Amino acid sequence: MLKSLLIVDDSPVARMIIKKCLPAEHGLQIYEAGNGQEGVEQYRTHNPDLTLMDLTMPIMNGFEAVEHIRGLDPEAVIIVSTADIQEKVIQRVKDLGALYTMKKPPSKKSLTEALERGAEAFAQVQK
Amino acid sequence: MNAAAEEVFSSEEKDILQEVMNIAFGQATAELAEVIDIFVILSVPNIKVVKGRDLPGYFINEMDGSSVVNLIEQNFLGKFSGQAMLIFPSGAEKELIKLFNQENAEGTYDVDIDTLEQETLIEVGNILIGACIGKITELLSDFVTYDPPRLVVQDLAESSPSHFPVDEDSFAISIRTVFRFEQQNVEGYLFLITKQRSIKWLKKALQSFLESFM
Amino acid sequence: MIFAQIFDTINNGLLVIDREMTVKYWNRWMAMHSGIAADEIVGTSLFSYFPELDQPHFRRNCKSVLQFGNFCYFSQRLHKYLFPMSAPGSLADSFDHMQQSCSMGPLRNKDNKVEMLYISVQDVTEVVSYQKKLVIMNHTDQLTGVYNRNYMEPHLVKEIERCRRYDHNMSLLMIDVDLFKIINDNYGHPCGDYALKTICERITSNIRKSDSLIRYGGDEFCIIMPETSEKDAYKVAETIRKSISDHPFTFADMTFNTTISIGVATLDQSTDDVESMLKKADEALYSAKQSGRNSVT
Ligand SMILES: [Mg+2]
Repeated sequence: MLKSLLIVDDSPVARMIIKKCLPAEHGLQIYEAGNGQEGVEQYRTHNPDLTLMDLTMPIMNGFEAVEHIRGLDPEAVIIVSTADIQEKVIQRVKDLGALYTMKKPPSKKSLTEALERGAEAFAQVQK
Repeated sequence: MNAAAEEVFSSEEKDILQEVMNIAFGQATAELAEVIDIFVILSVPNIKVVKGRDLPGYFINEMDGSSVVNLIEQNFLGKFSGQAMLIFPSGAEKELIKLFNQENAEGTYDVDIDTLEQETLIEVGNILIGACIGKITELLSDFVTYDPPRLVVQDLAESSPSHFPVDEDSFAISIRTVFRFEQQNVEGYLFLITKQRSIKWLKKALQSFLESFM
Repeated sequence: MIFAQIFDTINNGLLVIDREMTVKYWNRWMAMHSGIAADEIVGTSLFSYFPELDQPHFRRNCKSVLQFGNFCYFSQRLHKYLFPMSAPGSLADSFDHMQQSCSMGPLRNKDNKVEMLYISVQDVTEVVSYQKKLVIMNHTDQLTGVYNRNYMEPHLVKEIERCRRYDHNMSLLMIDVDLFKIINDNYGHPCGDYALKTICERITSNIRKSDSLIRYGGDEFCIIMPETSEKDAYKVAETIRKSISDHPFTFADMTFNTTISIGVATLDQSTDDVESMLKKADEALYSAKQSGRNSVT
């Protein structure tokens, strides 16, 4: 079971949409960050079970943030959320150690899937 | 977004608009690459609200001084209405032709190079404009029709406000992106200028977009 | 009902294809001009009847309609036509195919998803025919039938740019009829006109198709010679000069001789634009005149 979720996105609306799409009784502790750098700091402080990461952000973009976080914690479970889901982007994100890429905008369905797959991966690394 | 935007949009509306455009341009990038083999990078869209009379000056400012350009303009008409302006620096047509008319190497078209270059600009422009507007309107549950694109080689410094589809006293929303073709070193600008009467609809559509996630 | 009638009676080609490029609708105009009946083609791939459409360009545009709800245009200027059909009536003499201006756009289902696309085909052969005539008239000298000055400037600009880009040779001949005024004065203007026409004929028979002969002024001509070195241009100029001086002219019962002087200019570092080319050719012509006429410089 996931206990905490970090949402990294420069758009407050995007973060709001993600929260709205979460299942009703998720019971997650939610942390938010408005750019990659803040995301890395939040990760360091709270060590969330799952991180949802936007790619295009000012100051530090999502690619760099994934790399940093995976550097801090090679077992960090990160799902990237982007509208530009080109094959190339998906591959690059995967190479950096993210679990997978979900398409923007999210939906109830895609977030339920993210939580399930995130929980699965998190359980794996716990073992 | 700029100061004039405060007069038109609430801060929540601005946030939604920015995110809708982020998503639209991101999806357009991905689908152009995957579906149409056009590898183009679109920058994070920059949204501004501009008074009709200030548009010419605004363009020159945004273009970093290079004022003689190939301009492809195309009107779009739906609840979301306005004019798309795609701006290539002059000379870009020579690069684009390498990307988009490989067929011609085999002599498909019996036309002079000028015609081929111009038509290539128009085709590429038409597809880029259509992809961006198509994605925006899809997210906002609208669909639009278009006039055929026109290619104008012009000096932006000499364009007058009457050239734009916006009254001097009305507000226009300018959505600007810088695009860059990956394989060729070609950069340009895409401006979508929406008419004032679209603003009312847009405000509603932005709310509906947000509500669709409830 | 009404829309179905319009579909079949409109003076425009209309067809509908689905995402797999299968023809769904084919109006009478298309049937009439292509000779392919609707019940033959409907249900089959568009490419099975029109394999030449199966090109990256066409597919790319179809995809942009299906993916983005875009509208695409296939201009006559670039494509001439999408569907090979014969040009209507007497226009068939001057056009191998009907000239078409085509566009395509999305057709959506109830859920607003683009399910099919339409293509409309407009016959613009007549318009193109007028355009061609206008262009020719605008570029032709009435008397001699060679190019006129309107044609020269833009053509020369283009040729110079092209030859510079690919580092090719290019030459320009400036020609002036020696003492042309005397022909007019002695034998009358109709005879002068005849002389100009004959000079043009003789020049034309001594230059290549890729060279363009232009009537520059009253009795001044100019030849733009792409892919031609100074040496070759000089040789051609000599041949032309002799073709005029070595054969007498006969008009009515009058026989007379005339000569021309020619200035040659070739594209190089110092002459690399229209102005400097023309200036150099003019100067060469002037010194040809100075050196006693009937000569090439
Ligand atoms: Mg972002």
